[in-house]
Amino acid sequence: MLYFAELAGKPVVSSDGGSIGKLYDFYFLGSDQPLLTKICVVSSVGYLYIPITSVKSINGTIILAPDHESVEPTEQELSIRTHLLDQQIIDIQGNKVVRVNDVVIQQKPYYVIAGVDVGVLGIARWLNVEQYLNKALAMIGKTVTSNFLSWDDVQPVELSRGKVMLKREETKLTRLAPEDLADHLERLSLKNLTKILDLLPTEYEADVIQNLNVGRQRDLLRNIKPEKAANILSRIDPDEAADILLTLSERRRALILPFLSPEVKTPIDYLISLSATDIGDLATNDYATADPEELAGKVKARLKGESATLSQLSYVYVVNKKKELVGVFNLQELLAQDADIPVYKFMIPNVIVISLTTPKEIAMKKMIKYKLYALPIINEKREILGLVTIDDLLERMEGRLI
Amino acid sequence: MNQKLYAILRYIKYKWKRLLVVALIIGPGLITAFADNDAAGVSAYSVSAATFGYRILIITIPMTILLALTQEIGARIGIVADKGLADLIREQYGVRISIAMFVLLFIVNFTVVVLDLAGVKSALALFGLPTILLPIIVGLLFLFIVRVQYKTTERFFLITIGFYLVYMVSAILSKPDWGMAVRSMILPEGPFSPKFIYTAIAVVGTTITAWGQFFINSTVKDKHLTVEHLKYNRWEVYTGAFLTDLFSFFMMVAVIATLFVHGVQITGAAEASIAIKPFAGNLAGLLFGMGLFVAGLFGCIIVPLSTSYAFSEFFGYPGSLNEDFHKSRLFYTILLIQLALGTIIVLFPAVTLFSITVIGNFFNGAVLPIIFFFLYRFVNNEKIMGKHRNTRLQNWLLVGGGVFITAASLLSIAGQVLGW
Repeated sequence: MLYFAELAGKPVVSSDGGSIGKLYDFYFLGSDQPLLTKICVVSSVGYLYIPITSVKSINGTIILAPDHESVEPTEQELSIRTHLLDQQIIDIQGNKVVRVNDVVIQQKPYYVIAGVDVGVLGIARWLNVEQYLNKALAMIGKTVTSNFLSWDDVQPVELSRGKVMLKREETKLTRLAPEDLADHLERLSLKNLTKILDLLPTEYEADVIQNLNVGRQRDLLRNIKPEKAANILSRIDPDEAADILLTLSERRRALILPFLSPEVKTPIDYLISLSATDIGDLATNDYATADPEELAGKVKARLKGESATLSQLSYVYVVNKKKELVGVFNLQELLAQDADIPVYKFMIPNVIVISLTTPKEIAMKKMIKYKLYALPIINEKREILGLVTIDDLLERMEGRLI
Repeated sequence: MNQKLYAILRYIKYKWKRLLVVALIIGPGLITAFADNDAAGVSAYSVSAATFGYRILIITIPMTILLALTQEIGARIGIVADKGLADLIREQYGVRISIAMFVLLFIVNFTVVVLDLAGVKSALALFGLPTILLPIIVGLLFLFIVRVQYKTTERFFLITIGFYLVYMVSAILSKPDWGMAVRSMILPEGPFSPKFIYTAIAVVGTTITAWGQFFINSTVKDKHLTVEHLKYNRWEVYTGAFLTDLFSFFMMVAVIATLFVHGVQITGAAEASIAIKPFAGNLAGLLFGMGLFVAGLFGCIIVPLSTSYAFSEFFGYPGSLNEDFHKSRLFYTILLIQLALGTIIVLFPAVTLFSITVIGNFFNGAVLPIIFFFLYRFVNNEKIMGKHRNTRLQNWLLVGGGVFITAASLLSIAGQVLGW
């Protein structure tokens, strides 16, 4: 195992004894395996990009074969410094976004990036204080372990070098639940968000997009090319697509719609034409909520009291401290739980929702498709604005059903 | 029926919100600008106004331009790159520079926190309240920030801004020569001694702060504003700069019309609010003291927050006012350390604020040119900014401003050390 922090700046010499310069960077393949392909050396004549095949040894001093020559990196090659080090990555195992403090390189059987260090030791290594930090901590009876993440468990966020196809990345990311990945992607810049979406297999991408919050979905469709927007929309459910399109301005919508193929466009056009029938006036406040940490027993006891004041009770919506809707469960699911099970363990995180711009017809279709009696209306921040029940909806739509 | 009405009302509110994009944008620009008028700022304005009178008002216009310019660039980077200043420094310049910058920023911000806490302490004394209230107030502030969402914190700030109106009332109560005040903004009368020039430049310099540049970037990023919002955001930033300096103007006018006219010398803002009373009445003095209290509180929250934001961006820890304590533990711990240490220092009567001011100005002066350098590099980087790079005029202003601020902080340090 070699650490990039310890390699950077080391002298590079030729095996016939001549000094060449100092190690600056490595290039690696942005494909299946992150194989190192070139080393970048700062020399008196500028940057040299030397193929890794000319590197004889990397321990201590870096020794190159005497006949080495400089070859410019191709679009397929990424640089450790530009694309990995100090950048954000998604830690798939730990399910969070972190910064890369150091890059770990494996020598055998060939030079390859083994993973990244995201811990304090990674930072200490750059300052050459790793041993002191270890000693100091040992004195107070503590140890720091290197916070190493294997390459299989990370997804770099910064991938801006031409059109790089990272085949294996997609399978890596799909280990995360689409709603979790959507959560991380919401925090990234729009540019990186679109890039990562590009990596994903079609089906999964559609799932992730549907799980992004309304604001981010809108930003996405506003800022990417209309062709691309149409491409994304055609991959998700027409109901959802129409719903997202309705949050855009009419002008933007008119730009995107022509790019949809007729078989996708027709149903979406129809759904949008229904949007005049707003749903807001059907909303009621008769719904029950629970906290993700609340215990099933407590919820049961509480609902027993509350149910008297509710006109109907089919689902309990799980709302976190930020008032965001994070899950749902029905009464049957609740009754099946032991008293000491917290809500987040049995709730269904993927809630079917509608927004205020959703036409009644789409709401109805969703209820039928997912076999639900009620749907929550949420705003851009996933806060519940109200509930639409199937009874109210049927009453209002009477005579308009085919 | 009631329910339907409620739903309709909510619906109207929703539509209304969508119409008012401005309402979504508002926050970062105004808050950062106003936080520049923290307790340290109020002191600097009061002392210089009492010493030089109406002619010091000449600083108002250049101060506003400089503040508007630098804040707009910060906000623009935040919107276009969707990254904070510290994020960009780390990504473009690596770990070592990030650590150095964080250490510098921590020291600068910490001195400002101490000055603001001292401001709150002296405001308490003005109202005859015991000093022991200081740790209690700080504790409550901390709990408030931890418990509530960014949205609520932002609203709290926006309401607090309203309290700055007390300076306007103080100014009116002190019956100044308004014609003279307005004239002095362009054509000041009186001798231009070296001391006057040095003080004027130093006061303009204190408007632009290291933390202000980090804070506007981070909060704009946290709001996830997008490129369509650029136009609105620009106006919010400009309005913030204008209003902030309008209140600075009133603050100085209140002092000039009373203390300068009667030849009373002061050394700080708390003294000013006592000294004003005989000339403008008890109410004016009281309001001036209240202003100091609010300014101190404002600084006590915003400045340590900007340190925490920078930390989590530099080192990639989750950090945002939208996360709960457990998730952003380091973010809040850094906030707490600054407030707790600062409170302890302020409670020791032996520590003189003068030495802290000198240290603070010294590091601020050292760190600002570096921040201007980073701003220049980032805002002109095509990969980061695309077509939203600086225009040539903006670049000239930015470089000019950087040189000016650097000179200002050098002068200010020299002045304090040599006792000009």
